[in-house]
Amino acid sequence: ACATCSAPRLHYRDHHGNADVRHQLLNIRAGPGAALLPKEVTKVHLQFAHRIEGGHMGPRKFWRENLPKLKYWNPAVPMVVNRTTDQNGPAVMTVYFRDDKDAQPSSTPFPTSSADGSSPAPKPAKDERIVTIDMKNRKSSVILNELLTKTGAVPLQPTAKDEEEFREFEDLHRRSEIDRERIQKMNDAKKREKAMLAKAMSDAQSIKATSV
Amino acid sequence: MASTQQCLASLARLSLSTPPRAALPTIPKFLVPSVGASQVRYATHTSNKGGAKKAPKKKKQYKFFKSWDLTGMQQFSLCDAMRYLRAAEVGQPPLTVKYEVHVKLRTKKGGPVVRDRVRLPTPVKTDTRIAVICPEGSELQEEAKRLGAVLAGEETVFEAIRSGNFLFNKLLCHTESEGALRKANVGKLLGPKGLMPSGKTKTITNNLEATFRDMIGMDEYRERDGVVRMAVGQLGFTPKQLAENIRAFMAKIKSDISKMDDSTPKLLEEVVLSTTHGPGLSLNAEFAPTDDKIKPEDLEAVM
Repeated sequence: ACATCSAPRLHYRDHHGNADVRHQLLNIRAGPGAALLPKEVTKVHLQFAHRIEGGHMGPRKFWRENLPKLKYWNPAVPMVVNRTTDQNGPAVMTVYFRDDKDAQPSSTPFPTSSADGSSPAPKPAKDERIVTIDMKNRKSSVILNELLTKTGAVPLQPTAKDEEEFREFEDLHRRSEIDRERIQKMNDAKKREKAMLAKAMSDAQSIKATSV
Repeated sequence: MASTQQCLASLARLSLSTPPRAALPTIPKFLVPSVGASQVRYATHTSNKGGAKKAPKKKKQYKFFKSWDLTGMQQFSLCDAMRYLRAAEVGQPPLTVKYEVHVKLRTKKGGPVVRDRVRLPTPVKTDTRIAVICPEGSELQEEAKRLGAVLAGEETVFEAIRSGNFLFNKLLCHTESEGALRKANVGKLLGPKGLMPSGKTKTITNNLEATFRDMIGMDEYRERDGVVRMAVGQLGFTPKQLAENIRAFMAKIKSDISKMDDSTPKLLEEVVLSTTHGPGLSLNAEFAPTDDKIKPEDLEAVM
């Protein structure tokens, strides 16, 4: 039942109109990639190709699954993705560090994300250093681990409320599997009945035609 | 075999004289179509009384668009919503991503709709291409070209429409060419795209210069199915810019509603902020982030 108004929960969309937005938000703030980057990390740049041929599946999954969580917890850090159509091109993550906290941040503008390869990773400024992570042919979880260790980031554990929500959605998923099988059985039975009836009718017609 | 033939033959004739029940058990049950064979018919039973057609079950007609109960709805301040949306849109080219606002109204179905133009403090769209239908070869055509129209004239524009070559996304018509527009029969091609010039949308005009000034920089909005939707920002906007735009949009809608006839009341129900690829988040009227570790300036980073 609903926690706020005790109405029974429907299968997919609850009566407050939330639908699966809660699930989307949960997946943005919790899960692998939810981590606080240290203050030294100033920018993150990713470079990989549009399609997966050539080992670009890992970086793509990292972008779609882990980067949103990183961005949510570190909104002030520019995280730019440069995608190209060259499948044989590199798949590299560049992390920019500024170790001198008192220094003024550089005024050179960082390029924005692009889908046509027009925002390659810029050279580091004088007071910056870069760390590159090769992403080609590697799983997104491996890429994430390397990023977390190389930056010294602190992964955030999900709160009790988040864990409860994860369990709720797993529950929903399990129930929907059961329902799916039950409905599938019903529909299959109906289809079989219909097919049998149609066959009987057509047989009857052919008998009628031959006998007449 | 004979009994099977008998059964199926009677089925073919769709007659009431089915073979006696005793014959049926000789046929394996799975070969007998369940619906046809088990149908029991009585001579006195009529489903149509007096020959009247059986009325289909009437669907309940609703006068108002559906309203959701918002008591348990999770609502967000603008900065909180932007934090989630910018995370959902990370890595997308910022010019291809727009913030959009959906304003749900409590309103009757089929009544007059809210429909107007608003000038936002920070404009969103920068690519309005206007075509003008005006007398061919006249001064008006030159004036239109001078003001920045991509296409001007009568036949040139009509041909472009008929060939599907839409170089423009807004269409104006000068009052002198109204007759030609009607004769050209392009309504069927323009109507679905919302490009048909009409007095209601202020696209049939005498004064080209004023209308051009209005169109470039003014965004149209229209209520459909009880919701007004419009793009109010791009991904690169700061929280302050987005807040200003949303405030201007809401103020305009409220003033439009107050100008409307009292017979069809329209009430603001919900305001939802969303982006091109992101979730839709219901807004409460607040601005500041609820997490004290985050400041509005943090949401201005390059995307």
